[in-house]
Amino acid sequence: MFYIDNLLIKGFRNYRQQQLQFHPHLNILIGDNAQGKTNLLESIYYLSVTRSFRTNHDQELTHWEEQSLYLKGTFIKNGFNHVVQISYLQNGRFKLTINNDPVNRYDHLQQFPVVVFSPDDLQIVREGPSIRRRFINLEASRLSPKYFKELRAYQRVLLQRNHLLKDKQNRRQINVLLEPWDQSLIALGSNIIRYRVEVISDLEKEAQLFFNLMTNSRETLSLSYLSTVNYCDDLLEIPKNFHSALMTKRDQEFNRGSTAIGPHLDDFKILINGYDARRFSSQGQKRTAALALKMAEVYLFKRQNHEGPIILLDDVFSEFDINRKIHLLDFLRDNSGQCFISTAVDLNNLIESLNREHKIFSIRQGCASDEIVRSSS
Amino acid sequence: MAYPVSLKKLVDVLCRFPGIGQKTAQRLAFYLLGCSREDVIAIARAMVEAKDRLTFCVICGSLAEAESCSYCSDPGRDQSLLCVVQEPRDVLVLERTGQYRGLYHVLHGALSPLDGIGPEELKLDQLVRRVEDKNVGEVIVATNPNVEGDATAAYIAMLLKPLASRVTRIAFGLPVGGDIEYADDLTLSRSLEGRREI
Ligand SMILES: [Zn+2]
Repeated sequence: MFYIDNLLIKGFRNYRQQQLQFHPHLNILIGDNAQGKTNLLESIYYLSVTRSFRTNHDQELTHWEEQSLYLKGTFIKNGFNHVVQISYLQNGRFKLTINNDPVNRYDHLQQFPVVVFSPDDLQIVREGPSIRRRFINLEASRLSPKYFKELRAYQRVLLQRNHLLKDKQNRRQINVLLEPWDQSLIALGSNIIRYRVEVISDLEKEAQLFFNLMTNSRETLSLSYLSTVNYCDDLLEIPKNFHSALMTKRDQEFNRGSTAIGPHLDDFKILINGYDARRFSSQGQKRTAALALKMAEVYLFKRQNHEGPIILLDDVFSEFDINRKIHLLDFLRDNSGQCFISTAVDLNNLIESLNREHKIFSIRQGCASDEIVRSSS
Repeated sequence: MAYPVSLKKLVDVLCRFPGIGQKTAQRLAFYLLGCSREDVIAIARAMVEAKDRLTFCVICGSLAEAESCSYCSDPGRDQSLLCVVQEPRDVLVLERTGQYRGLYHVLHGALSPLDGIGPEELKLDQLVRRVEDKNVGEVIVATNPNVEGDATAAYIAMLLKPLASRVTRIAFGLPVGGDIEYADDLTLSRSLEGRREI
């Protein structure tokens, strides 16, 4: 059994100080909009992923009157307590410890998997490639520490290489100077592409199953990786093709002063009934597709850790019809570990139908009060 | 707390050492105060002497007390083996393993376009000339296992491949992103044994 048992929040968004004790299975957060439901979910996510699902700027996470934020939560895993503490000071100093031992972000990232689904996830289907790259980078990093390290190295190589491409003084010997950076770009970039193709194919299988469930098998969902490196289904060809593509783009790279080939420009396509979902699908289809991606992620974490991840559902129940709500709850019962559901509307009937003991948190202006609800049987 | 002026001055100076915070600086200061006058003079003198007498070897760039270092002037060392490192302190780390009996070449940095460090700044032409002139059989590139160290190794391999019969790299076994300085002796010995051709 894997779950978060308790959490102390200090100076996070609209929470000044709050101590919470969670239910190991099901926690319902009830409250009007802008009272702090999403902020609470965000703090749990931050404790696991060390970044927010809503912003790239940690600065925004601190309480407007405080200089810093502090989170202390206890995850229970395999019967052991893991006390995770994160502090972030306004000057950018970030500190992370587990049971008082300092740890770095990439060792932490795989430890306590949390999956969030929020209305913003619609962007994965609807918006441009950068959102999907962010999604795939985060998922792959959380499944493989090696991916995360190579991605960081790749980004550093890009920075160095782009700097050379912008340099007008060394033009005469530029090809020689670029050579070592090209080698690293190709080696790291090829590994990144290969791993992404693998993750996309795993996600596709699980997302398809979930999508079938939600649409009563009336519609299909598929994913396909779109790379700037042409590899025609032979992953071993990637380094060779990467190299020749770089050679053909060299003039363009000098003109733009940036690297024109590589996974930093790749994308993946989401297809519903064979058509690009970004352009040819309804709002409801997009939402179901985004949910399917997230639930596929749940399944991949479960496969990797032999235990379901913690799931955060931010205000999503109001958006689905009754059949989909029931399918979603069924899926969660079978695959998730601990669940957090935030809602502004009354879920009474739905929750009662689950007939499971749970805890309800009423949230008002950055304060939470809780009550336990026992199952009737 | 109000410090006597001369104590405060001493603590402030000690704080400038890398890795020394206020507390450790205080402890060191009180240690010095507890020493005899002669001992304190000996310590101060050792610092000045090291600063005055140590320079970089004109041949390999290692720390040296004369024009050339103790490695370059030792005829007992294997003249056909050359190990390229980033920093003078890396030489000391490799020496500690007791496994390596060849010569060194210290780059004093790694390629980094962002910091304006290219082949010229690392004086790589000097390295090329040395390999050409001295009939070096194998060059072991022991730059740091990070992005800049890898690129430097690749660049050196490109320059030296036509000149030396073997160019190898040690990097694996060392902590990723870590400097060779932090590798323990055992991992370094293993790395040396398991070096790979590039
Ligand atoms: Zn020397």
